[in-house]
Amino acid sequence: MSNAARLEDRRLITGHGRFTADWQLPGQLHAAVVRSDRAHAVIERLDCAAAAKVAGVVAVLTQADIEAAGINPMPGGLSFTGKNGQAMKKPAWPVLAKSHVHFVGQAIAVVIAESASVALDAALLVQIDYRELPAVISFEDALHGGAAQLHAEVPGNLAFEYEDGDERAVANAFATAKYVSRVTAICQRLVGNPMEPRACAAAYDGATDIYTVYTPTQGINGIRNALAQIVNVAKEKVRIVAEDVGGSFGIRSPAYPEHIVCIHAAKRFSRPVKWVGSRTESFVSDNHGRALSLTVELAMNADERFLAIRFDNAADIGAYATSFGAWIGTRNLTVTMGGVYRIPAMYAQSRIAYTNATPVSVYRGAGRPDIAFAIERLVDHAAAEHGFDPVALRRKNFIPCAAMPYKTSNGTTYGCGDFAAVLDDALARADWSSFASRRSRSKGAGKLRGIGIATYLEASGGGAAPKDQVEARWDKTGNVTVYTLAHSSGQGHETTFARIVAGALGMPIERVHVREGDPDVTLVGSGTGGSRSLLGAGSACKVLAENIVGVARTYAARLLEVTESELRYASGRFETHDRSLSIADLAVRLAALTPHPFNLIGEGSFGVTFPNGCHVAEVEIDPQTGRVAVLRHTVVDDSGNVISPNLVEGQIQGGVVQGAGQVLGEQAIYDRHSGQFLSASFMDYPMPKAGIVRSFQLFEHPVPTATNALGAKGVGEAGTSGSIPAMTNAVLDALRPLGVKNIELPATPAVIWNAMARAAQAARVLEQPV
Amino acid sequence: MAKVAMKVNGKQMSGDVEDRTLLVDFIRDTLALTGTHIGCDTSQCGACTIQLNGRAVKSCTMLAAQAEGADIMTIEGLAQGDKLHPVQQAFTECHALQCGFCTPGMIMASVGLLKDTPKPTDEEIYHGLEGNLCRCTGYINIVKAVKRASQLMAG
Ligand code: FES
Ligand code: FES
Repeated sequence: MSNAARLEDRRLITGHGRFTADWQLPGQLHAAVVRSDRAHAVIERLDCAAAAKVAGVVAVLTQADIEAAGINPMPGGLSFTGKNGQAMKKPAWPVLAKSHVHFVGQAIAVVIAESASVALDAALLVQIDYRELPAVISFEDALHGGAAQLHAEVPGNLAFEYEDGDERAVANAFATAKYVSRVTAICQRLVGNPMEPRACAAAYDGATDIYTVYTPTQGINGIRNALAQIVNVAKEKVRIVAEDVGGSFGIRSPAYPEHIVCIHAAKRFSRPVKWVGSRTESFVSDNHGRALSLTVELAMNADERFLAIRFDNAADIGAYATSFGAWIGTRNLTVTMGGVYRIPAMYAQSRIAYTNATPVSVYRGAGRPDIAFAIERLVDHAAAEHGFDPVALRRKNFIPCAAMPYKTSNGTTYGCGDFAAVLDDALARADWSSFASRRSRSKGAGKLRGIGIATYLEASGGGAAPKDQVEARWDKTGNVTVYTLAHSSGQGHETTFARIVAGALGMPIERVHVREGDPDVTLVGSGTGGSRSLLGAGSACKVLAENIVGVARTYAARLLEVTESELRYASGRFETHDRSLSIADLAVRLAALTPHPFNLIGEGSFGVTFPNGCHVAEVEIDPQTGRVAVLRHTVVDDSGNVISPNLVEGQIQGGVVQGAGQVLGEQAIYDRHSGQFLSASFMDYPMPKAGIVRSFQLFEHPVPTATNALGAKGVGEAGTSGSIPAMTNAVLDALRPLGVKNIELPATPAVIWNAMARAAQAARVLEQPV
Repeated sequence: MAKVAMKVNGKQMSGDVEDRTLLVDFIRDTLALTGTHIGCDTSQCGACTIQLNGRAVKSCTMLAAQAEGADIMTIEGLAQGDKLHPVQQAFTECHALQCGFCTPGMIMASVGLLKDTPKPTDEEIYHGLEGNLCRCTGYINIVKAVKRASQLMAG
């Protein structure tokens, strides 16, 4: 474990990072995208003539060009079937809109020009005549009888119905239940907004027929395969160059239309083509997140034990199916639908609808925060409704440590976890028992104070590739470069992976260099996503180091003139009774051999892990304004073994604050009738700012997993999963004495103020003499 | 097109710009100083923050022509050779950056904040960094770093 500063920091704090917009390719052209400003319309006329005539414009490309080049539509959909064996209905998503537009921001035409400003100027001259159609922008409106139809092949806009669990067992349990509670948890539509706006550049080499694509990404293999499939070339013909990536949160994993147009244009005009999106374009055309509503019911017996849980989930996936969009409201929810609780009967059904909004895909957690939010709102709500203690109710229903490994009633096996101990730890760290005095202090100051608790458990680690590989290449001076496919967008892989390798080889970390996203390595492995890089690629680093030690032993034995069994290995040194040799020295001595004998691969298939934890949030509400201040947020996390505590803490802090953004303000707001996106700028979309969470503490409570070489569990999304329910429960705890029972997110000052006003009015009605 | 000249990181620089060229585009495209970033189109994110005549300024809020004759420092000019500025030092020590995209602007804004308020309270830091967005860190470590830098600068 080390808390030393990160190796990647120096370039980033001195202005020498290299993000996609920073690349200047010799002879490059620039692209500007003409986007739909209508939510739902027929394109009656698309006239690019005036734009094409502007001096410096090379071409204006439309879907006709894309189709003529034999380019496929954007990929998406599901690989599994749903209720009654149905397949998901997946209308084609053309790279550029052809006859219809289905959301504000959809790409229609692309101007290619000598400079970015000429391209932007010319884009304004593209003329489009629309015949507007009624728009539907929410799940409910989309499924409403008589709603406007988006796609001819999707009657009623219903894309997919899914179910999991045992419906009959759940119905039986509800029939015998003593207590029942029900709550609706809405996870509003969000915009990921990594700080680096989306950008890409493509170059084509006619001699080798190879495309080089510069793009922010979460992993070069995934994006390369997707681009090759869409453009219809062998994947070996696409090289991805990615260096620094300015945040991702899921937004960067798929291919986007701009990639495809730049690739096409680079070949067609034999010059590199670069596109740098604006923030407005990020808002309207980066895949959105969440957009789910979960209605969940709990059945309990007289003993307050959970008998059954039942979900009715509604997911709005926007205008088209992205590659991951429909996973979020289905399998990503149900894999852990019982959370940390022992629930004998579980059932969930989900319905997925198309709407005239930006397509949805994964955003930090992608179903995990949503299910945690629903479960923990439900448990808190049930406790309040039936007068149970929320802590005791949780404790009573936890899956006990002794029951591990535990197979849930819908078939997921949790390997390990000590939920009761994590809860106790969190309560102590958060001074739960002395809350009453803090509440009365706030009351004295005219403020409403609330405390909220939430547990979470999530599945992390599943990756698209069958295994994870990393590769070592040694140079003449005995320094090693480790190549990985798991791309960082802030996680600090260069530091953590180097620590793993350097630590196991007993080498100074300065001699281990980690290279992500080298386009010329041919490794198998998944990209970053699902909180899996440490337990996947990180574990492969550990295996790599062990492989190197294994090969090194043979050479060490030879040099020290002993048998291998006579050698002891400890902290980077092979020792006999009187001599020793370090791996680092050995690497230098072998450097004349080509290839270097330590040029090896580390690999493995590492299973899913179940990070879990408990968050306690403490908030204060100003009843005059409805403003919520998050005074204190305490996290006790079981993320298994930790390599870099400061980096783990950073991940949790970032996740918690993204959760705070969702709870307190963020929302992609669309006009219900016109389908216009009303909050598509930083002026209208309240991003979390400094001070949104005043004080933060993280404590690790590791229960190492046996499913990977490091004993690590996922950490990237955990902060979000716990903070959303904990903060919402805290807000409700503050408001409950006034009679407020539930609240819809985001809990903006207006929402809070209105909830208080409504509760006060209801109380007045009750007080009136009959 | 017009010619503009200014001092950037201690060196006299000049270039031809359109009247409408923003200072940030001049810095990035003409001067090839790509450490100054563009994160928005509404002057809200602060990724483009530089020092202009000793004040922290968002370089997307002004035209290149308005900087004629100015003395500018970008993130590339902050360290003295190999020696980091105390704010840079504090950012790396406190793990106040993850992806690093907001970081140059965050550092330049913090330098400005500490010039005005050498010993800021938490509230003063929240206020001082109100115009700078970070999506990765949750700001907790950024606030710590500003305080740490304040200590380092006090010597
Ligand atoms: S780019 Fe200047 S404030 Fe965002
Ligand atoms: S470190 Fe990524 S936006 Fe601040």
